[in-house]
Amino acid sequence: MAIRLSTLGSQGPIDYSRRLWLRTMVALTFLLLYTPIITLIIFSFNDSRRNVVWRGFTTKYYVKAWNNDSLIEAFTNSLTIAVISTVISTILGTMIALLLWRFRFPFKAAYEGFMALPIVIPEICMGVAMLAFFSRVGFPTGMPWPLNLSAITIAHIAFSFPFAAIVVRARMAGFNRELEEASRDLGASEWQTFWNVIFPYMKPGVIAGGLLAFTLSLDDFVITFFTSGPDTVTFPVKVYSMVRFSVTPEVNAASTVLVVITVVMTVLAMRLQAPDKTEAH
Amino acid sequence: MESWRDNRFVFWVFALPGTLWLLVFFIAPLAIIWALSFGEQVDLVNVEVTGTLQQYARALTDPVYIQIIWKSIWISALATFLCLVIAYPIAFLISFASTRWKTVLLVAVILPFWINLLIRTYALIAVFRTRGFANFGLEWLYTTAQLDHVFGPFEPLPLLYNNFAVIAGLIYVFMPFMVLPLYASVERLDKSFLEASLDLGASQVRTFFSVTVPLTMPGIVSGIILVFIPCLGSFLTPDLLGGTNAQMIGNVIERQFKAANNWPFGAALSFLLMYATFGALALRAAFAGRKQGMEV
Amino acid sequence: MTIRKNYRPNRRAVLQASGAALMGLTLLPRHSLSAEEKQVNFYNWDTYIGETTLADFQKASGIEAKMDLFADNDELFAKLKEGNPGYDVIVPTNDYVERMIKADMLETLDHSKIPNFSNLEERFQDAAFDPGRKHSIAYMWGTVCVGYRKSKVKDGVKSWKTLYDSDEYAGKVSLLGDAQNVLGHALKYLGHSLNSKDPGQIKKAEELIIANKKNIKVFADDNGQDLLASGEVDICQEWNGDILQVMEEDDDITLAVPQEGGLLWQDCLCIPKGAPHPQNAHAFINYLLDAEAGSKIADFIQYATPNGAAKKLMDKEYLENPAIFPSDETIAKCEAAVFLGQEVTKLYDDAWTRIQAA
Repeated sequence: MAIRLSTLGSQGPIDYSRRLWLRTMVALTFLLLYTPIITLIIFSFNDSRRNVVWRGFTTKYYVKAWNNDSLIEAFTNSLTIAVISTVISTILGTMIALLLWRFRFPFKAAYEGFMALPIVIPEICMGVAMLAFFSRVGFPTGMPWPLNLSAITIAHIAFSFPFAAIVVRARMAGFNRELEEASRDLGASEWQTFWNVIFPYMKPGVIAGGLLAFTLSLDDFVITFFTSGPDTVTFPVKVYSMVRFSVTPEVNAASTVLVVITVVMTVLAMRLQAPDKTEAH
Repeated sequence: MESWRDNRFVFWVFALPGTLWLLVFFIAPLAIIWALSFGEQVDLVNVEVTGTLQQYARALTDPVYIQIIWKSIWISALATFLCLVIAYPIAFLISFASTRWKTVLLVAVILPFWINLLIRTYALIAVFRTRGFANFGLEWLYTTAQLDHVFGPFEPLPLLYNNFAVIAGLIYVFMPFMVLPLYASVERLDKSFLEASLDLGASQVRTFFSVTVPLTMPGIVSGIILVFIPCLGSFLTPDLLGGTNAQMIGNVIERQFKAANNWPFGAALSFLLMYATFGALALRAAFAGRKQGMEV
Repeated sequence: MTIRKNYRPNRRAVLQASGAALMGLTLLPRHSLSAEEKQVNFYNWDTYIGETTLADFQKASGIEAKMDLFADNDELFAKLKEGNPGYDVIVPTNDYVERMIKADMLETLDHSKIPNFSNLEERFQDAAFDPGRKHSIAYMWGTVCVGYRKSKVKDGVKSWKTLYDSDEYAGKVSLLGDAQNVLGHALKYLGHSLNSKDPGQIKKAEELIIANKKNIKVFADDNGQDLLASGEVDICQEWNGDILQVMEEDDDITLAVPQEGGLLWQDCLCIPKGAPHPQNAHAFINYLLDAEAGSKIADFIQYATPNGAAKKLMDKEYLENPAIFPSDETIAKCEAAVFLGQEVTKLYDDAWTRIQAA
């Protein structure tokens, strides 16, 4: 190892993050991924009611978006739902992933299929199912905020956590079980073993699963529409309704703000995360 | 793997919350729709569940639905495959990056997906259309390279309203579903295996296909499942980006629940799609089970 | 923050909240809140009302109007089909009004509580789809027409032939993306009724469209006007209001109703069965029909208002715009969509599936 490092200098044979061709390929993908986003940001400054032709620079849509109570309300609702749904789905998904990873039990294959159901079902079918369900059990509507969001949140969790479970499960597939056994042999409790041995290994999977759950919830329209009550407009519901006329640059402005906030928060998080504390938990 | 009997308490703690949630808030609602698929629409609002199989018969006997399902399958398969090819390098780069860059790259991959799907799709249209940025860029390259003197003036490429656009759109929409499980799986790759393979004289390519790919197979399979299946049911992307024959099975299902107001038929189509997917998953499970058996 | 302004903690709210905490499986009646709290739940399209109308209404009546949004009639119908989750006033289009009346989903209106009904022009005080307007009040109306680029389409669009049966503008034409509009206007071109129930005629229309599919660029879901504005197509079939919006920004775009006539639509205000605040709903509908409120709405959304009293307050530019108000002669050739019944709807849907699969 030491010999190779010294002979090959800074670029080892498996130092893939430094490979130029890999970097170029990823850069190209990012270019494709971000071109529409940049377009959207540009059009948020367009002095026109639609995203079609450039008609001059303006920041008026940012002012309008800021003063648009219903837009901000929709945004707040969406974020609230997404955060709650992400936390619960990640926890539920992780537990199911661990269950499938750790235990042998009867009808396990069938159980795995059962868990995959929400992924398999077409969105509209699930939306209608939720509509029929909530109206038949007489789920109360018109409750004060944030309880009025509970039906939507419940539905979001139901379709998100199996996604999280699959991601975490894929991660756990490579875990060396002997580590766990060793930990127990050394007298660690169930909880200590989980927290000190399994969880650190599992963490990237949990983060990936959580990100997926958040994305799913934030972007969902169909199921949200069918589970929403009379005063629970979410951001996607607003956007889809707007489309009948045209998606206004206000929405582009609001989306741009979301992008900027995320970027700023990432930078801040990076600043806080000193290089030597990377493994802290 | 231990038997559930060895540690019943832990087993139930892990199993109960998720299972109950799914049973109450997913299976119960779905059961209503499943029942509907054996019914018929008697008037505008009421469906009578008569146990009839006519909805399934309609879906399976009219060749047009089989044709649409078949088309949905190959479009989804192609999109999934391309997604895998594009996502793998990204996941690889993220996994091998330093911790700081890992965060940045992960967020960079996921960020576009926090913008509403519809808005993103409209932005994609603005890029791809005849007078969009993609064509402007290509035209600039074309004229800069003086090709217009050789081949005549630049003809904008028809990037929208065809199957190409649908596949590109699906890749664009489902990219994180592939990147995230791949990342979670590549990240745990024991780098010493790669070094060993290279030390033993295998080429980078051989190492990739004989060591890296098999070791990250769980991530690949998860990614394929998470992309392929939602692709099958998607309707917005073919609707907005596809041409006059872009309709996929998701569109037909959506129409049954909405414009056609025929929930039983929509339910039957949805469940047919589900049975097919489960058939495929069961095959995979059987295959994986056999392999696992051999390892043990 | 706007979110919390509706937060009114009271005993019932707490009860309901704990009901929700028990996973909603309690048997509390939905809307056990006292019948007429000062609130009305309006279910509408986004931006389909005046900018200050809801606030003005609250000022005038003390009733708070909350607006929730839907994206199309099918969704509205699907959602209310399983029971009304608490909406007081909804805005379906005429054929869906008919559907909902047949399905017994609409409350009968108490006209004594809507004195402003008399503000409506006479021809909107009755309707074939709702005789006596027992269930619906006209809100806005318009046509499905053809938008086109004047510099590219020199002779204008005289007939649906240009869209359905001609290769003159091959690859530069978009049609709407729903069964009834695509097939209905083909039927119109073939000289039949837009609402034909005759399987033979529907089949002919289907064949016509399949034969002409190579000339059609796309069935645009709801963005035909954007395609037109960006130059992607030169001719598009669209709702007139959508074309109108791009006309404002591009002088080269105009619209026409082909000589065969097009679809005539009317969005209506209705009270769905099970509305928790029917009194307020009547007051709200009455307010929307007020001359001044109506003119503010029309001024903002720039659609044709059926409100005669409101029109008196509007400027010439709006009133004399032929794109907003087609001539009586044109209207006479147009036809309103009729709810065709479940069987015929299935015929249209099957034809539409085959057209797209062809």
